Amino acid sequence: MTGDVVALTAAVPDVALLADAFGRFFQPSTFARLVVEGLGKAAVYFIIAVGLTLVFGLMGVLNFAHGAFAMLGSYLGGVLVVVALAGGAGPIASIAFFVVAAAVVFAVMTVVGGALEVTLVRPIYDRTPTYQILMTFGIGLILEETTRIAATLRGVQPEPPWLKARGTLPGFLETRYDVLGANVRGFYVFEIVLGVLVAAAVWLFLTRTLYGLYIRAGSEDPEMVEALGVDVRKAFTVVFGLGTGLAAVGGVLLMWDPLWGASVLLNIEVLLYAFVVVIIGGLGSFKGTLVAAVVVGVADSFTTWLFSTGIVTFSGLSEVTVFLLLVVVLIVRPQGLYGVEEVGGH
Amino acid sequence: MTLLELEGVHTYYDESHVLQGVDLAVEEGEIVALVGRNGVGKTTTLRSILQLTPPREGVVRFRGEDVTSEHTHEVADRGVGWVPEERRTFGYLSVEENVRVAVRSDQDFDALREYVFDLFPALERFREKEARNLSGGQQQMLAIARGMVGDNDLLLVDEPSEGLAPMIVDQVVEALREASAETTMILVEQNFPLAMDLADRFYLLDHGTVVESGPTADVSADDERIRRYLSA
Repeated sequence: MTGDVVALTAAVPDVALLADAFGRFFQPSTFARLVVEGLGKAAVYFIIAVGLTLVFGLMGVLNFAHGAFAMLGSYLGGVLVVVALAGGAGPIASIAFFVVAAAVVFAVMTVVGGALEVTLVRPIYDRTPTYQILMTFGIGLILEETTRIAATLRGVQPEPPWLKARGTLPGFLETRYDVLGANVRGFYVFEIVLGVLVAAAVWLFLTRTLYGLYIRAGSEDPEMVEALGVDVRKAFTVVFGLGTGLAAVGGVLLMWDPLWGASVLLNIEVLLYAFVVVIIGGLGSFKGTLVAAVVVGVADSFTTWLFSTGIVTFSGLSEVTVFLLLVVVLIVRPQGLYGVEEVGGH
Repeated sequence: MTLLELEGVHTYYDESHVLQGVDLAVEEGEIVALVGRNGVGKTTTLRSILQLTPPREGVVRFRGEDVTSEHTHEVADRGVGWVPEERRTFGYLSVEENVRVAVRSDQDFDALREYVFDLFPALERFREKEARNLSGGQQQMLAIARGMVGDNDLLLVDEPSEGLAPMIVDQVVEALREASAETTMILVEQNFPLAMDLADRFYLLDHGTVVESGPTADVSADDERIRRYLSA
């Protein structure tokens, strides 16, 4: 009991320290840096969460294996860049290898996701959501443990992150640059660029292709789409595959991320953030996922800085803040920022 | 030529036995009305034809071929369109996109879009607007248009006048008349006089079976045999 009192007293921040921290927070250079870093995080959250929201929007399936797909992507991407960059490479070649690795991982994992949908998820569409949650959670656990065994046998750290893969990050992305008065690491800008490209590609797919139209219509009323002559089961397979592929691409990016890295722990950690983003944005909403990823990314960036730079030195508090944000949204607007009362609508 | 046949169709919702041996036939080019009180199985009959709620017993034949084991999209691909109860337009898609979803891959979308706007001029100025922003009557027209553009030989129309103002009902009836010039139609309608006015023949359902049928010219809502089944 006495120990608890001492701990609580120590946790109360010094007022002068707090004022100083806030003063530094609002300095333009700090603020801009945190915004850029937050947008970098937002890009990763978006790339991973968008597949989750598309799958739920069309199929009504809460995919608890989604984090495992990102985890697998981080290892597959890691293997490809470690092999490709073993002899060293210049900055352009490094980025080119990364892009090729991400494309290969996307293609492979899209096929894997499609196969999983056909063989394991499709047979339980008519069951209650509990079956879908148990099935996808089980798939996630099997993938996690299989990866852990494979990584251990190959002498790769399953946890903490695989340093050799992260070590292939080219130096120019490690370097800090002055961008609009903010001193930011090149990797965050790289993440933002990739996030924008993925968002644009998904948006174009949804709004400019016939399949995207079927997916948007199916998110509202799959039975009606089927009655108009569209094989909705095929659309389910395509969307589950694409969602898996996108999560894996997010994993490839995390493999290089200084805050994450390839690790089996990504399965659960990434899944939690993806769910937070999707729920805050509104289940099934592309636009909501985009906005929520930015909100969560920037909030995470701000609070990580605040809670590690003078107010209360406890890095876990930033995660608490993100989940508090989720709680507030659920209380004030249970359907999320852009969600509708029922599934779909986007 | 017989376009559609239902033979001894039994359909359930879980343990609820809704259709209890429905037999009916629709000839090419005619409008057939399904009438009866609420809950007698009219909508379920349409859902059984499309295999949305597949029958557990009995056969559905389209152009003489058994479609009972087919998926809904395969039945639709054969040329069966659906204008469902409560419209079910895609609210977050534009009017044009709603039409686009229904157009088959081998059809010319641009030509069909213009066909729809010729048929329903009221929809043209809302072509870019999301369907959820349309009035009930406009949504019904869009639902009918969506059912017509798929090059369908048979259109299943469920409660087209439901919830609409009388003036709008007139427009919808006019649209259905135009549609009937190009396609065979099964019409489910609570409004008995309207159904009799539009249709060539009728089937009267009660407790999941057909209890009366015949040419609409031979009946009126005042007939005792009809009143008995239509009164609550």
